Amino acid sequence: MTLLQIEGLNLAIHDYPILHDVSFTVAPGQIVGVIGESGSGKSMTALAVMRLLPDGARATGRVILDGQDVVHLSEPELCGMRGRVMGMVFQEPMTALNPIQSIGDQVAETILVHERVSRAEAMERARVALARVELPEDRFPLTRYPHELSGGQRQRVVIAMAIALRPKLLIADEPTTALDVTTQAQILILLKRLVQEDGMGLLMISHDLAVVADMADHLVIMRHGRVVEAGPSPALFHRMQHPYSKALLAASTHQPDRAAQPQDTPLLQVQGVIRDYATARRGIWGKPGTFRAVDDVSFQIRRGESLGLVGESGCGKSTLTRAILGLEEVQGGTIQLDGQPVFTGHKPNRAVRRRMQVVFQDPYGSFNPRHRVDRLVSEPFHLLDTPPQGTARDAAIAEALESVGLTPEDRHKYIHEFSGGQRQRIAIARALIIKPDLIILDEAVSALDVSIRAQILDLLADLGDRLGLTYLFISHDLSVVKQVTDRVLVMQAGKIVEQGVTADVFAAPSHPYTRQLLAATPRLPEFENT
Amino acid sequence: MLRYVLKRLVSLVISLAVASLVIFLAIEVVPGDPAAYMLGMNAQADTLAALREQLGLNGTILERYLSWVGGMLTGDFGTSYTYRTPVAEMISERLWISLPLALYALTLSTLIAFPAGVWAASRRGSAVDMGVMGVTQLGVAIPNFWFAMLMVLVFAINLRWFSAGGFAGWEQGIWPAMKSLTLPAIALALPQASILTRVMRSSLLDTLSEDFIRTARAKGLTRRQVLWRHALRNAMIPVLTIIGMQFSFLMAGAIIIENVFFLPGLGRLVFQAISARDLIVVESVVMLLVFAVIVVNFAVDVAYAAVDPRLRGRR
Amino acid sequence: MIRAALTNRALVIGLALSLIFVGAALISFIWVPQDVGAMDIPNKMKPPSAAHPLGTDHFGRDILSMIMVGARTSIAVAVVAVVIGMGLGVPLGLAAAARRGSLLDEVIMRGNDLVFAFPSLLIAIMITAVFGPSALNAIIAIGIFNIPVFARLTRGAALSLWTRDYVLAARVAGKGAVRISAEHILPNVTNLLIVQGTIQFSLGILAEAALSYVGLGAQPPIPSWGRMLADSQTMISLAPHMAIFPGMAILLTVLGLNLMGDGLRDLFDPRIRRDRR
Repeated sequence: MTLLQIEGLNLAIHDYPILHDVSFTVAPGQIVGVIGESGSGKSMTALAVMRLLPDGARATGRVILDGQDVVHLSEPELCGMRGRVMGMVFQEPMTALNPIQSIGDQVAETILVHERVSRAEAMERARVALARVELPEDRFPLTRYPHELSGGQRQRVVIAMAIALRPKLLIADEPTTALDVTTQAQILILLKRLVQEDGMGLLMISHDLAVVADMADHLVIMRHGRVVEAGPSPALFHRMQHPYSKALLAASTHQPDRAAQPQDTPLLQVQGVIRDYATARRGIWGKPGTFRAVDDVSFQIRRGESLGLVGESGCGKSTLTRAILGLEEVQGGTIQLDGQPVFTGHKPNRAVRRRMQVVFQDPYGSFNPRHRVDRLVSEPFHLLDTPPQGTARDAAIAEALESVGLTPEDRHKYIHEFSGGQRQRIAIARALIIKPDLIILDEAVSALDVSIRAQILDLLADLGDRLGLTYLFISHDLSVVKQVTDRVLVMQAGKIVEQGVTADVFAAPSHPYTRQLLAATPRLPEFENT
Repeated sequence: MLRYVLKRLVSLVISLAVASLVIFLAIEVVPGDPAAYMLGMNAQADTLAALREQLGLNGTILERYLSWVGGMLTGDFGTSYTYRTPVAEMISERLWISLPLALYALTLSTLIAFPAGVWAASRRGSAVDMGVMGVTQLGVAIPNFWFAMLMVLVFAINLRWFSAGGFAGWEQGIWPAMKSLTLPAIALALPQASILTRVMRSSLLDTLSEDFIRTARAKGLTRRQVLWRHALRNAMIPVLTIIGMQFSFLMAGAIIIENVFFLPGLGRLVFQAISARDLIVVESVVMLLVFAVIVVNFAVDVAYAAVDPRLRGRR
Repeated sequence: MIRAALTNRALVIGLALSLIFVGAALISFIWVPQDVGAMDIPNKMKPPSAAHPLGTDHFGRDILSMIMVGARTSIAVAVVAVVIGMGLGVPLGLAAAARRGSLLDEVIMRGNDLVFAFPSLLIAIMITAVFGPSALNAIIAIGIFNIPVFARLTRGAALSLWTRDYVLAARVAGKGAVRISAEHILPNVTNLLIVQGTIQFSLGILAEAALSYVGLGAQPPIPSWGRMLADSQTMISLAPHMAIFPGMAILLTVLGLNLMGDGLRDLFDPRIRRDRR
């Protein structure tokens, strides 16, 4: 018996085709994972089932849910089904809730919209729904507002709203992408439990093969609006047929070849670093408090080494990055590059700063849209006392662009002419142009699709070997860190709680927090690499 | 909530203090001797001395400022030089025209703007929306005093529905007084209503494109329910800001519109005072208007907190 | 960009209207249908005719010529007021954003709040009370009111730009706040400033007309639209054309500038569809 049957679904937005002949089914109690990179149409498939499509979208084909063809239902009929027969959870919990309505009211609304019950009864049932998503009333009163909750807690409220009427189908569109890995694990467990308890079908959309592999009974792999392969999990992993599926799987577990061996001389030495922030004063005459973002952190990076720094959001890793780069002064401890302090006499030391560069996460926000590539890439020349001029400058720009796999002619283009992966190459070219010793990669591959990510990781490994670069690789993604670093630091609440050789830390973590992180990290099933 | 209101209250007092200082310095200190200025070139020495005494010009700047502020706090705005009557009396008399006029206009503007803005936003891109946007485009561009003159031409001179100007007086009863304020209030309200309609519409459209609206739709709410239950209250935050700002424009606009309709309000008073060089009256009226603007903005800040729990702070 | 501009109806109409009035003001320097200084009492308050397309005023002056010369006053006052507002407001906004949360930021923002409590009419009243009426008053009064408008807009936009990674990259390249503001912040707020500039330009024309109407702006014999309306008021039943045409001039100029502002905003950022306040 099937609960949801999608058959030959086509979708176009303003006559621009998005989905082509998509077909798959979801049975009651079954978890179906839909995987794809950006532009694969996976989210549009989910929205098509809910019929919450953007203006100008036109769907054809059949989407049979609980015996009704959703494609041909009228808007009032759809409103009767949404929230009652099908519920949906979205990616961004921070903005998914009405900021000025209490969580109790928002959950109760699902019930009040569909059933003629008193407000008191709806609130009572909202209380039950919130308790089911592990937000018990004694700790999370119904009168709480969204801004008083964390991202994970907000996502639980969204789930409570979606399951309050025990729908037959729950759709979760990247429900944990915006969350930390430990929170992600908890939300995934919660979703699994709800599926078991209610026997509902779960359609789970994700870009992350590992997240879905853990959860789903059945996998659907999409690309460019088409289903390329589908089958039961985990069996599908062992006998993938389509080249794209195979490539996706290979990219997800890609291990770049790194030949260079780290030397014994330390390059960056961080000793007892403390970074305090002033917090808002309490009351009008109150004293401003302090928040210790980085608490007595010490470590060193050897020349030629690739060091990983992992931790969840808010652990202080970004603050530490800014301190190393000399953007902010520290309140205690020293940071030295090759024996030279980053800060001297309350001023950043230019001689040190020109020896390190950084690559940021967001390939779209990292470049001034009004400058051409040559100007973007040559910006770090500002750190040199005598920046190269004329042909020397042109040659340096060309060399930097070529070293990241672009052509010298790209210098005349603007940044919007490049794809996300190409932009990240330009960001690396910008970091390379003054030939630094240390490059800090601040979540540099986190925003990229897995296949692009594999290419960038290869490029970084290759550059590291050729130019003898040292990397500080900062990431929340443990699986990437495992693939590309020699040693790893684990940071929690401003402190380094564990450090060691990457393979050792991953094999035998000693600190409970590291163990917790590793346990929470979704893993692909073991399979024979063919 | 209490802490938030207290904080706003402190900033209200600071704003008032600084504003009063600015007005005081601009009018009494910068131009030199106000007494000589007010009396003109041919002033007699003894009249000048008498006026200086009356104005309290013989103290230091600080003393004069403190006595001016102290006087206002106790309701003593000084005595008009030209009319020889207490300024407080003159102002309160005129205020009974200017304040009702501004409030009348604000009410009209809000009553027009809310339904029009919601209507246009809920039918975005339709003929209704285009019509509302076209009319408000004109409303924003029209000079209100010219619009007032056109209304006088049509409704007073040609149709004779209203009198062309003057004020019936409250002692004649509420209706005649309101009637004589109606054309001025419409003239004042039209541009403000246009602005407010556009703000209301765009704020609603912005809110309707937010994530939480989609979440609400996923619960099974219709477009209409989403608009009324979720979008409207969230959209109120920028709208409140504009209503607060409009009050100051309405007070200022009232001064000009009173001129068109020969209404004996604060506007007439201030222009008479300017031509008579009666600085005390000018200073008091300006201070009063600035006071009104600052207090209204305080009220708007408090209204924010009522709408938005994030401003009330954590419990 | 230019093709997109030509298909934007609001922009084309707005630009055309604005150019008509700017053109009229410029032409008036070399030619007007009739000298605005010359009175012709026998022909006073004549309705539109072949000799006087828009009729004559209470001194027999040609209203078309008066409107052309009056456009100079309106445009000059509004433009200078926008220049004052941008010239002071933009640097203040950039500085406040660069030093976010500092004492400087606090002082600039509280100062802005304070100026917002003084509508330009009140500033004009204060200046006139002390120095007497003149067109300069109108410029100063409207200009001062424009400062916080541009300061707030610039600060708001700059604050969000300061959180961009490209600004962080510039800091990593050792660039200071002034250089970053000039190279990375200002160029990315210019579009917003141009749009706001046209809006403040149109508001300035409205404000100048209102100030001149109540006698706080341009003084006779300088022709100005507000002044013309003030003169027409007592004769409105006898010669309505005296009131209608100058008012239409104000309305169409302001409408043109507003449409141009809307059009420019759509052109610069088609994704964001905001409506002017």
